Amino acid sequence: MTAVRPALDASTLPTTTFSHRSLAWWGTVGFMAIEGTTLFIAVVAYFYLRRNFAAWPPEHILRPDLFWPTVQVILLLASLVPVVLADRAAYRIDVPRLRRWLLVALGFEIVAVVIRWQEFLALNVRWDTNAYGSVVWTLVGFHTTLLLVDVLETAVLLGILYSKRRLERHISDATDVTFYWYFLVATWIPLYVIVYLSPRFM
Amino acid sequence: MSAQPLPHRDHTPADEDRLRRELEHAYREHTGLWGWLTTVDHKSIGKRYIVTAIIFFILGGLNAALMRLQLSRPENNLVGPDLYNQLFTVHGTTMMFLFAVPVMNAMGIYFVPLMVGARNIAYPRLNAFGYWVYLIGGLLLYAGLFTNTGPDTGWFSYVPLAGPEFSPGKRVDIFAQTVTFTEIAALVAAVEIIVTIFKHRAPGMTLGRMPLFVWAQLVTSFMILFAMPWVATASIMLAMDRLIATHFFNPAEGGDTLLWQHLFWFFGHPEVYIIFVPALGMVSQIVTAFTRREIFGYPVMVLSLIMTGFLGFGLWVHHMFATGVPQMAQSFFTAASMMIAIPSGVQIFCWIATIWAGRPRFSVAFLFVLGFVVLFIIGGFTGVMIASVPFDRQAHDTYFIVAHLHYVLIGGAVAPLFGAFYYWFPKLTGRLLSEKLGRWHFALFFIGVNLTFFPMHQLGLDGMTRRVYTYLAGTGWGDLNLLASIGAVTIAASVGVFLINVIRSAARGLRAGDNPWEAETLEWATSSPPPSYNFPYIPVVQSRSPLWNRPPDIPVVTGLRTDMREVLITTLLDARPDSRHRHPNASITPLLTAVATGVTFIMLIFTPWGLPVGGALLTVACVVWGWPNRKEYEEQKLQESS
Repeated sequence: MTAVRPALDASTLPTTTFSHRSLAWWGTVGFMAIEGTTLFIAVVAYFYLRRNFAAWPPEHILRPDLFWPTVQVILLLASLVPVVLADRAAYRIDVPRLRRWLLVALGFEIVAVVIRWQEFLALNVRWDTNAYGSVVWTLVGFHTTLLLVDVLETAVLLGILYSKRRLERHISDATDVTFYWYFLVATWIPLYVIVYLSPRFM
Repeated sequence: MSAQPLPHRDHTPADEDRLRRELEHAYREHTGLWGWLTTVDHKSIGKRYIVTAIIFFILGGLNAALMRLQLSRPENNLVGPDLYNQLFTVHGTTMMFLFAVPVMNAMGIYFVPLMVGARNIAYPRLNAFGYWVYLIGGLLLYAGLFTNTGPDTGWFSYVPLAGPEFSPGKRVDIFAQTVTFTEIAALVAAVEIIVTIFKHRAPGMTLGRMPLFVWAQLVTSFMILFAMPWVATASIMLAMDRLIATHFFNPAEGGDTLLWQHLFWFFGHPEVYIIFVPALGMVSQIVTAFTRREIFGYPVMVLSLIMTGFLGFGLWVHHMFATGVPQMAQSFFTAASMMIAIPSGVQIFCWIATIWAGRPRFSVAFLFVLGFVVLFIIGGFTGVMIASVPFDRQAHDTYFIVAHLHYVLIGGAVAPLFGAFYYWFPKLTGRLLSEKLGRWHFALFFIGVNLTFFPMHQLGLDGMTRRVYTYLAGTGWGDLNLLASIGAVTIAASVGVFLINVIRSAARGLRAGDNPWEAETLEWATSSPPPSYNFPYIPVVQSRSPLWNRPPDIPVVTGLRTDMREVLITTLLDARPDSRHRHPNASITPLLTAVATGVTFIMLIFTPWGLPVGGALLTVACVVWGWPNRKEYEEQKLQESS
């Protein structure tokens, strides 16, 4: 036994915190760092492989179509509205509004997944045609994996928020899901420019 | 169980008894096999991680022993070329991916929470998941080897050799997926360790008061975060080239073989520091404890660790000098490679200064530190030599490089690790390792390493290339090879002595008590081995050496719930109390999720259908993981209402 003296009372500290005070936020940031690095590596590979081709896209391959990818970018930017509103509702602990806006956001996410299919087709090349095809499919594919993860995360969280198992902690978790969505939108815009636009002006 | 907070007055022994009983109840795990499969205690997982890594170290060592037997005389017929290729590939893959990185992570998983005064690691379930994924990756590699499907293209598996054209079959796919598994494990461990260090430190432990081992783990974890995705991405690209005919590395379709080398070494060089930096932290802890002096130049030591972390990312091209790098890049990477000697040198001088000022006790842990200094300096010297392009182009792919990398990795990481085992074994088991056997272990190890690897410098200069399964008698390499093989047997004997020491001491070693070395950091403040909850009282830290500057009555935190796993979250810089968080209980979901991950990646060796099937399995696993069960819900509800 050691002589101890109570010096700090933790009993009054909060149990639900947001942003950098919450552990889930740090986990999200950690995985964003990993996933951001992965996307960056795919971009490095894109520009590295490009040096091997006289034309980009290579000869006999059409440039990527712009219609659906541009629709997607507009949709993703529009999705920020419900996501920001959900975020604000969560910080105010306003559960009904949080649920409503998160549901709208989930709708946007699902539409984004459907459009993503069209975006693959808009590449106008198969992954096994040549290295160009491989790298553009991989770039869009990596981002799609993250998109699917976020759809799953949003759906599960929304399910919990509507269920009887809802806790205060889940409101904070909702802000991490929205935070992750910002990351997905922010990473898609440079990828859109690189994959779909850059063959037109570079 | 009562949820009453402990009284905010001086605590009596009766208070402490009550506290311990309540915490034991809150942190109890299931018993038997189910307990083993479901535990989320960082100590249980850390221990099994360490044991598993040592088993892989032994297996990797056996591969090496077979190679050394084969090379002990010219034109030997013990091992044929095909098996030899598998042996050196599996040896390298094991030592790098299944031993060195995981064991350093494992030491962090076990000791970082104890050293920062936390009750568990951050994200305990993720921690369990990481271990299972690592285990599956390791089993996959050895399942391959034992079915004659062991990877055979070297641990860095250069394309086009590793591509579909020159390596048909599944051998390289096993390599690629083993790498993916171990990278996932390392990445989740890195995130856990960073968040433990940032948010779970005992109040008062500012960044400037953290033990150097914790700093080293922090730097390593950040390196893992930004280095491992490179090899994970590269291995995914390689697997895709082989499975679904992508062309990343196929020059005929615009792919590039050097892309693989860039991606691999952008990970591969930091990897060396991911292994080496935690070892530096271990050395600092051992030097402090065995000289009874606070480390000389603490801020400089921290800055050196951080500088090593940054510089580690600027060196990768020196592995590729033989590929025809532009002259400007050659000069840059030569200079960067030489610059890494600065932080390493600074640390060595700080340790010498600490030892100089203190009264060193030459216990086995300390002997290994001295061995480290000698071996690492030899490895460092040859490193500076091969940083120079003209010399590197002579020595490239010869035994000179084999000698260099083994001096650096064995000297720089394995020697400190053995020292750390002697230092921390009492905390893990409650018993001391035998000093007598330990001295035998050290002597055999030190002699063995030099006997094995020193002659390889000469063999390399004489022109013996690496990865050859035999050589002709006329080359004149026989004697030095025999010497190296005798050295390998000596190393094997030293590891044998170590294992005997571990087994005997775990059962019958001297009882250690809480702090046998009278060291200064928090892990020594709790019992040996620590209870499931680590500390009955979370201490309030007031100095860099909390146990050396201990006031008669230790200031502690009260008010945390004792009827559940409630932990204190503190602020990043100053470690001020910030919030309370409930850690999860034992659960089978990490194992199930790891199995789903395993099915996905192993299926992907054979068919692209692994993606949808694995995706569906992982979805189910993640939903089960995320959905709160009744007990969790009730506990959390209770906590939130308090």
